[in-house]
Parts: sequence; structure tokens; C-alpha cells
Amino acid sequence: MHYVILGNGVCGMEAALLLREREADARITLVSDEHDHFFSRPALMYVFAGQTSLRDTEPYDRGLYERMRFERVRMRVASVDTAGHALVFQGAARVGYDKLLLAVGSRGRPAPWPGSEGPGVHYFVTLGDLEGLDREAREGQRAVVIGGGLIGVEVAEILHDRGLPVTFVVRENWYFPLALDANEAQLVTEHMRHHGIDVRLGQNVEDILRGPEGRPRAVGLVGGEEVPADLVVAAIGVVPNTAFLAGSALNLSKGGAVEVDDALKGSAPDVWAAGDCANVTWSDGSRRPEQLWYTARDQGRVAARSMLGDDVVYRRGTWYNSAKFFDLEWTTAGFVPVLLNWDNTPLDPGPDVRSWFQRVPGRIVSQRVVVKGDRVIGFNFLGSRWDHEPLMQWIHERRSLSFVLEHLAEAQFDEEFMPRFRVLPTARLG
Amino acid sequence: MQAGLMNTYEHPVSNRQTVAWCLSGLLTVSYLLLYLGPIPALGIRWDVFQAGAEAAGLKSKWTLYGLLYTLAMIAGGVYVIRRHGSSRYQLIRTSVVVLVQIVFGFTLPIVMKVFGQQEHYFSYFWPLKIEYLYPSTVLGQPFLILAWSFLGSLVAFPILAYFFGKRFYCSWVCGCGGLANTAGEPFRHLSDKSPRAWKVEQVSIYSVLFLALVTTAIVWVNWAIGRQHADFARFAFKVQEWYGFAIGAIFSGVIGVGFYPLMGTRVWCRFGCPMAALLGLIQKFGRFRITVKKDMCISCGNCSTYCEMGIDVRAYAMANVDVKRAACVGCGMCAHVCPRGVLKLENKPIRWKAGTPIRVYAVDL
Repeated sequence: MHYVILGNGVCGMEAALLLREREADARITLVSDEHDHFFSRPALMYVFAGQTSLRDTEPYDRGLYERMRFERVRMRVASVDTAGHALVFQGAARVGYDKLLLAVGSRGRPAPWPGSEGPGVHYFVTLGDLEGLDREAREGQRAVVIGGGLIGVEVAEILHDRGLPVTFVVRENWYFPLALDANEAQLVTEHMRHHGIDVRLGQNVEDILRGPEGRPRAVGLVGGEEVPADLVVAAIGVVPNTAFLAGSALNLSKGGAVEVDDALKGSAPDVWAAGDCANVTWSDGSRRPEQLWYTARDQGRVAARSMLGDDVVYRRGTWYNSAKFFDLEWTTAGFVPVLLNWDNTPLDPGPDVRSWFQRVPGRIVSQRVVVKGDRVIGFNFLGSRWDHEPLMQWIHERRSLSFVLEHLAEAQFDEEFMPRFRVLPTARLG
Repeated sequence: MQAGLMNTYEHPVSNRQTVAWCLSGLLTVSYLLLYLGPIPALGIRWDVFQAGAEAAGLKSKWTLYGLLYTLAMIAGGVYVIRRHGSSRYQLIRTSVVVLVQIVFGFTLPIVMKVFGQQEHYFSYFWPLKIEYLYPSTVLGQPFLILAWSFLGSLVAFPILAYFFGKRFYCSWVCGCGGLANTAGEPFRHLSDKSPRAWKVEQVSIYSVLFLALVTTAIVWVNWAIGRQHADFARFAFKVQEWYGFAIGAIFSGVIGVGFYPLMGTRVWCRFGCPMAALLGLIQKFGRFRITVKKDMCISCGNCSTYCEMGIDVRAYAMANVDVKRAACVGCGMCAHVCPRGVLKLENKPIRWKAGTPIRVYAVDL
């Protein structure tokens, strides 16, 4: 049996390891044109800053491929011949497979504005993006980062750390409405501004203006303002890295993700897809890719079991996530409603859904507990650390707000000697 | 919570570049001069440190060394607190270890000397300071100091290590660890994380512990029977001298500090210190551990990179397994630099027993 895995990110690597664990004699080939070794994509910002080396971000030692007898193909795939069971590479070389896993991940969503094509406009998703930005970003240049999400704030931080004045252009009226409410976004925005980032909220980009040599000169905003820029980073989300699948027998979603069934099997024989590039069913019934580190890992494992013939299905569990906005850590678990649409119209959280919120005075720390009626359904914490495991258990146990507030300190996960959680008189439910 | 980014790999001195090799050479030669005095083979005929001490009005080169050591820790401590003071654990721990050095490691021994006493470093204990339980020390020191040494080494330390892990000593009190965690901070990421280094560590540190125990035993046997057996007395003296030179001077001093810029800090603590070996064994069965938050690790590697003891913390975090390693000195830096807050140093018996699996990612039909 020859398993071929396209992509050596967390999804592909986890699948390969599970396949090897179960089938000692199978031939397993990992294909990637990005890097010889599996590395941690969320760590790219630390490599840029020089906090870690690229090698530090490789979770396994470099002897792994040899030890696991993984064959490595370092080429870019041009297309998949599903009828002939083969990958076709640029230059027409072919690698046959018995079973194929597409774990090709994402790339930055292409900047849609006039003037986006050409030098000086960057993304920050792949190793190639990192190298490009690292080559060009020099102290003193003016940078404009466009996008109000997690990659945007990371890029703003590392560019600012390198000594570039950064303007952060956010389409929505508050930062990261996908995860934060107005109060929380206000805290994060103040924190970013305190660090010297020029945050522009509620601003749409009109075009990217270029100077006589073709380099970016400014970012034009709707309304006429021009923000001077030597360097532009588009951090407006990611799209499945599946351009090479256009025209193949595989069904793709409108957004380009590979349509898979519950066992992560694609629409062509012996082809599976997992991770960022797979269109999966979410707990609310919607179908979209899950662009997360831990779900890519989980999907890789499920896909491998499915390829081995196990009767498995992938089920999205309760949502949780964490991130860091400059120095501000964020933990979320459960259902936290999105309150602002991308076009800045308010969204209704639904009947009976309210938030218990408090801000700790003197520190950039806030706690929000989302309730439906009296039942706790979600958590959003800024500036302190929380173990999502008890939080999710309370959600599953349908605990009341008073129970949760009484026990919340047990879920605190801060370093020792940090102030313990307590309910403040200023806390309010609204 | 780490505030700001570190640009560790952009500084040549933290990055094994030429300047780092020069610094390492300078430190190594300094330590050789300190311990050996004149080195005729290198054409050095006089005791540089002793001459320097006398020129500065100090009687002994060891006072000068203590002064330089303490100043390096104060300067390094300020650096660490500026860099990592956003964490109260780092702030308090660093302040304590520097204060312990100033008071117990430097001032008190000098005061004792002024009052005509034999000097005693109250922050050091057997078997790290092996001579503190040699008969010559035991019989020559006042009762209170003796009680301090005995109770510390044999009673208090095992109990403290059981409840708090070896960190209570290795990164809160000990001068060796104190220097590593202050002046040595720019080099902590250079520790070798390979599985091979872990194997070497296990052989090496327990060998030194064995040597320390044997040496102590031989010295005591000699005290008991030496007067009747001149050959054994000579042998015991040789063993004692050899241990002091090879382990005390060369390993803990020359290699331990001299190789900071090349092998990272804590080379001695990790591969040699018999105290760390003993406390580590107790820690392994004790309460201290680094709790791992389930399925939240993004494998970025900050924890492993900044582990001065070369523990691959990330491997534990990725596998959702709490870190319980004899080597861990509990400096807390892994938890501090983790951008997802996955790690927590803890002594409590049980943290949380989850009733339900939180992510059912594969459902068997």
C-alpha cells in the first residue's frame, strides 16, 4: 500500500505518524514544496522576531523521516490525476498513490484592491511569506497592516518590534468582532495603541498606490485619505490552498475547500482531505473549513484512520481557542456570539443571550461569561490565563451563572503569585 | 505572560558567534586562573586574582571572586526583571535569589571572617558543597552552623523538595542557579535538547552523585581509622583533593560558567550537580509538576527553546502529559514564554479531574 500525503504541516504529519503506527510496512510519502521538515506554522512570528529559530519551531527531531521511513518529495504539485491515481508535478513528473490525503492547508486571502499585484504587498501564512517579509522589512520603513484578525495583530507586533511604524487598518468598527465584544475590543485597541500602533477602525481600503518604481507609496482609504506605506501586509483571512485542484474530479466548495464526507473522504476514489483545505460540517450544521491548529491535527488523525479502513467520522467538538494580542492573552470557550457584522451592522445574539462582564481596575484584565437564560454557554477572557477544560465541562453540565462564578477561580491558570479571580462590585449582566 | 518579544537570535553574543566564543574563552581562562593560580605551562607565574584582590585592598582572591559574582548576579537580576518582570513569579524569584546571594552568599561570610570565625556560605549545602559534611568542617564549626548544615541537607531539603520540587533550592536559593538565571539569562536557549543529551545527562549527573557519596564516605572512614592506616589516609586525601579539583573547580566552575555562551547556562546543574541529582530524585516522586492544559499547544517551541535544562517541554505539551522530570529546576520560563498559556507550575496534589472528554474528535460507529 502506498499512502501519499500532500502537505507536511500538522495535519499531514499527524496522519503520517498514525499511518506508520498502524502499518509498519506501508509505503508513506510526504509531499511538500514548503520545507523539508514539519514546523509549527503559528510560530512564524517568533522566527521573524528572532525569538526562536526556524529549527526551534520543528516539533520533531530531524531524524524522524528516516526513523519512520517517510519518503519525502520536495516538489510543487501541478494537478491530481484521480483516474490514474497519481500526482502530476510541474514538469510532468508523476508520483502514483494507492490512497491520497490532501492536507495542503491555506494561503493568505489575496488582496482584492487595485494595486495589490506587485512588490511590497505581503502575506504572513507560509514559510515563503515569512522569508519575503523578513527580506523586505527594514527599520524605519512605514508599514500598513490590513485586516482585523489574529494574523494582523501578530504582523503588527513583529513589524513594530523590528522598528517599523505600523498603521493597522481594520474594516469593522471594533477590532476582531468575530471573537470580541465592543468592551473587549476597546481594551485590546487601547493596548495596541499603547504599544505605538496606529489603529484605524471602521476603515475600508480603496486601493494600494504605487510610486514611479512600482513600490507601494500609500494605502488609499475609502473617503480619500492616503496612509503612507513602504510595505503592506494583507491579513484578511486565509483561503484553501487548492488552486491546483481546479479542473480535477474533486468537488470543491465555493470558497475552494475540498468537499468531504463525515469520514473526510473526498468525491474521487481513494482521496481524502483534512485540515484547513477541507470543507467540514460544524456543530451548527454549516459547512466551512476549520482553520485552526488543533483541529487540523485532529482531522489528520481521523483521516488517517479513515484511510486505514476504520469506521470513523469527524465531529466538531465544542469551540475553544486562545491567542495573544501583543502582551494580552485571550482564552475563549463555548458559544460567544458575534455582535458585529463585517459591514458594521449589529448582529442579534439571539433570545435570552446576555453577557456577564467585569474589568479589573488598574490592569488590562477582563472576564466575560455568556449566558442563555441562566445557563452558562460561553467564556471570553482577556489578560489572564484559564484552563478551558473545566470551562467546557461547566457548559456541558448546563451550569448556572452563580455556580460558575462561585467556582471560576478553580479554572484560573495564571502563573503563580498572580492575583486570583474574584467577582467585583462593578460586574454587570447585560 | 511574556511582555514584548525577545530578539535572542539577532544578538551575536547569544548566538554562538565569534564574540560568544571569545567571551567563553575569557571566562574559561579567568576560572582557570582563579582556581589554579599560577599556570607555568601557559607562562603565567603569578596568581593574577590574588594580586588583583590585594591591589583592591582585599585579603583573599575568593572575596574578590565573591564580589564579582554578586555584582554579576545583581546586574543580571536587573536585566531579568526588566525583561520578564511582568510575571510576578519571575519578579519574586529573581529578587529572592539575588538577595540570598547578597546576604547569605556574600555579606554573612565576610562578617564572620571579620569576627574571626571560619567563613560559612549559608546558602550552600552538602553534597553541592561537599566539605560542609566533612569531619574537618563538622568538628570545627559552632553548633548552630553545624545544625544548619545537617538539618538543611538531610532533613529540610528532602521535605521541601517533596512539597515544592527542587526549585525551592535550585532557582530560589542556590548561587550557581542564581548566576545562571541572572547573568546567564541571554544564554539559556543554548541548552542541548536532543534525546542524546538527555541520555548523557542521566549517566553523568548520577555518576557525580555517586562520586560525591563515595568521597564523603571515604573521608569519614579515614577520620575514623586514618591514624592507624597511613596508606588509606594518603588515598583518602588524594580522593578528597581530586574530587575538589575535578568536580568542584573544573566541572562546576570552569565548564559550568565558562561554557555559558556555548552550551547554555546550567551545564553544571544539569550534568554534574549532586545536589540537583538528589533533589531531582525526590522531585520525581513529589508533588511539583508542570501541568499541561489539554489540546491547546500550538507546538511553537518557545517552551523547549527557553528551557535551560534542555527538557523538550513541547513534547509533553503536545502529548497532553504533565511535565514531571527530575531535571526541572522550576525556573518557570516555559510557562512564562508560552503564548497560549498552556503550562503552569504547581505543587497542589490534584488540580482538576475532568468528568467528560472535551473534544470528541473521532466517534467510533
